[in-house]
Amino acid sequence: MVLLSVDGVECRYGSVKILENVSFTVKDGDFVGIIGPNGSGKTTLLKSISRTLKPYKGTIILDKIDIYNIKSIDLAKQMAIVPQESNIGFSFTALDIVLMGRNPHMKRFQMESESDLTIVRKAMNRTNTWHLADRPINELSGGEKQRVVIARALAQEPKVLLLDEPLTHLDMINQLEIMDLVKELCTKEHLIVLAVIHDLNLAARYCSSLLLLKGATIFAAGSVENVLTSENIKAVFRVDTIVRKSLVTNSLFVIPLSPQKSSVPRNCAIHIIAGAGTGTVVMKALFDEGYEVTAGVLNMLDTDYETAELLKIPTVSEAPFSPITEESKRLLSEMIFKSAIVVVTSVPFGYGNLSNLETALEAAKRGIRTYVIDEVPIESRDFTAGIATALMVELKKSGAIFIKHPSELPTLVNATHDRIELRKHAQSEIPGHMKNKLNSFTKNADNKEVS
Amino acid sequence: MTADKVESKYSKRHSRWKLILLALIIALIAAIILCLNIGYAPIKFSDILTILGKQIPLLNGSINSSSVSPVNQAIILQIRLPRILAGAIVGAGLAAAGVMYQGVFRNPMADSYLLGASAGASLGYTLTAIYAGSLALTFLGLGIFQIIAFIGAVLTVFLVYFMSRVGNKVPITTLLLSGIVVNIFILALQTVFELRSGKALIGIVAWIAGGFSNITWLDIYAVFPFVMIGIVLAYFFTKDLNMLSMGDDTAQHLGVNTERVRQILLLISSLITGAVVSISGVIGFVGLIIPHMTRLVIGPDHRILLPASAIVGAIFLILCDSLARVATGASELPVGVITALAGTPFFIYLLRKRKTSYSL
Repeated sequence: MVLLSVDGVECRYGSVKILENVSFTVKDGDFVGIIGPNGSGKTTLLKSISRTLKPYKGTIILDKIDIYNIKSIDLAKQMAIVPQESNIGFSFTALDIVLMGRNPHMKRFQMESESDLTIVRKAMNRTNTWHLADRPINELSGGEKQRVVIARALAQEPKVLLLDEPLTHLDMINQLEIMDLVKELCTKEHLIVLAVIHDLNLAARYCSSLLLLKGATIFAAGSVENVLTSENIKAVFRVDTIVRKSLVTNSLFVIPLSPQKSSVPRNCAIHIIAGAGTGTVVMKALFDEGYEVTAGVLNMLDTDYETAELLKIPTVSEAPFSPITEESKRLLSEMIFKSAIVVVTSVPFGYGNLSNLETALEAAKRGIRTYVIDEVPIESRDFTAGIATALMVELKKSGAIFIKHPSELPTLVNATHDRIELRKHAQSEIPGHMKNKLNSFTKNADNKEVS
Repeated sequence: MTADKVESKYSKRHSRWKLILLALIIALIAAIILCLNIGYAPIKFSDILTILGKQIPLLNGSINSSSVSPVNQAIILQIRLPRILAGAIVGAGLAAAGVMYQGVFRNPMADSYLLGASAGASLGYTLTAIYAGSLALTFLGLGIFQIIAFIGAVLTVFLVYFMSRVGNKVPITTLLLSGIVVNIFILALQTVFELRSGKALIGIVAWIAGGFSNITWLDIYAVFPFVMIGIVLAYFFTKDLNMLSMGDDTAQHLGVNTERVRQILLLISSLITGAVVSISGVIGFVGLIIPHMTRLVIGPDHRILLPASAIVGAIFLILCDSLARVATGASELPVGVITALAGTPFFIYLLRKRKTSYSL
């Protein structure tokens, strides 16, 4: 078994510590993804392992040998590096480039032998570059070039393969093909692979374990499931994410939510009636605007429910696939009548969630400003034989405002919020004779908005 | 071309390279004989071959040289041959040094002049002409002028090199920048001394213009070892040069001790440059353009590029110098003018002929 041990490594540029107290051990067949934000020391770690940057402290032992105690030509027999981008001077052919991978195994005056050519041919076949052999490297596309460079690394017949953001300039198909290839090398040829990868989803899909760096040191290390949690991602990348297991690839994937805006909290409650993922965008948008968002009734496991959980929004919830009970409807009424604004998304309505719509109508009748997002016509999402459609007509009559797209909502809601605030001020601070004027002014504004 | 053909082409590459070198050596010999014929005194080819054959130890017994006049023999052996051989050695040295500079610095503009070699040599020559021209000092067959010019060239390159050291490494950009700065500085000094040089000025200007008009066999004996041994030593590092073209990091990862290779090649190429500049003065263009031209034709592999460029440089400079000798009748043109006039159009032709862009 081949082991690569990094022990107590500290790296500095001048007096600035770039890496501190980094220790881990990997064995052959491991595909380790190094992830972390910019400036967390990922590339520096790779540089210290590849002997480009000597650590200030600590050791790196490969197969019982300190890599800083051997000649560079001996290290090159054991370790190959695929850089982020290869700027190759002079127009060497692809085959020339891959043949250079044989250099560590050749004597100074030796020409490439038949066996070298065989090894190179095999490497190029594996990376699907043999047909490019005679082409000048500078005329190849980014993906082809990167595959040629990987072939060169394979021609070194290394035990360790280091890749520094190998996918940066590649399109989707090239990214997948290269990761497939690297994974195969790992499992079939028992290479140790360490790769700096920016794309968390690709890292999760291909790596056997992950190393998460933050602020020059290891924040978390281990299996993909243990490292790639939304808590860890939040702590390291400062981004809210949803981490799920893909049923297709059976690997984790990460959905980033946009970084939260630092807006002033608004002392104004908005209740959102949604479901089946129709409310996620709206919830997030209003949450970011600083409103006190509530939601419900939502079934557990519903996408909107998960969003609400993530945003820590108070929610009235119901068991999965269950109709709304009387108890839930009572809780909903309590919640909704305390709100200043109600939003109904274009959720499909069946007998199970009809109570939501009924409660919204009740709220509209009580004079609570109600917005209905009518993105999909109600007829095509009414599974109650017309009851929901009738309730919608009723809603409109009761003064609910219908809009076509969720993106229009925040502006309208902000306007409503400002008017409500203005009215509050009018009632408390402004002398009597001004009140009437203001009231009529805001009422006019309301009417204009409705028409 | 199918991939299988590619494979067989590569396994035959070594013999192809040998063939290229053989052809170039034959061309060099042909160029030497052709140029021996050029000059005011008309000398027949048969006489030239007789005179040369007489100099070859095993052959001389069987050659009858009685038909050749002693004057012609002296013209060939004492005037034309040393001059032509000097052209070959200087051309080979400049071109080989150019290959090394371009490879080591991954820069198409890098040559010995950019790094200050010629400026240093010129300053050395100027100082000698003003203050020490009468000293009859010789060393290894070199006169005082050559010695000081040689020292000036080598010192300047190393001054530039150590000026641009950052920590343990020599970044290309700082190197080229300090090269330019040092060049400007030395040029300023040069101007100051030229203004104070009085009668010596004519000699200085003529030497700086470059040429072979005062070459003797002693110059050749002194410079040939530097160029020959330099090129042979540099050949040890040609595979490293190939890998250096992919950047220092990648070269290191492929097992190249980059900093050591860089220092050794810089030393070798500076010694070569210093040696050739000391006998020929400043001849531009060869070190820059010959490696590019050769690379365009035979490819970028330094294992063939270095020796091939050296021979092409030798042929090129012999032909240019012969043109310089006869082009304008009585007075000679500086050979540097010819190298530029002859080389530029040919280089542009090669550059335009390639469909794809030429990248370094």
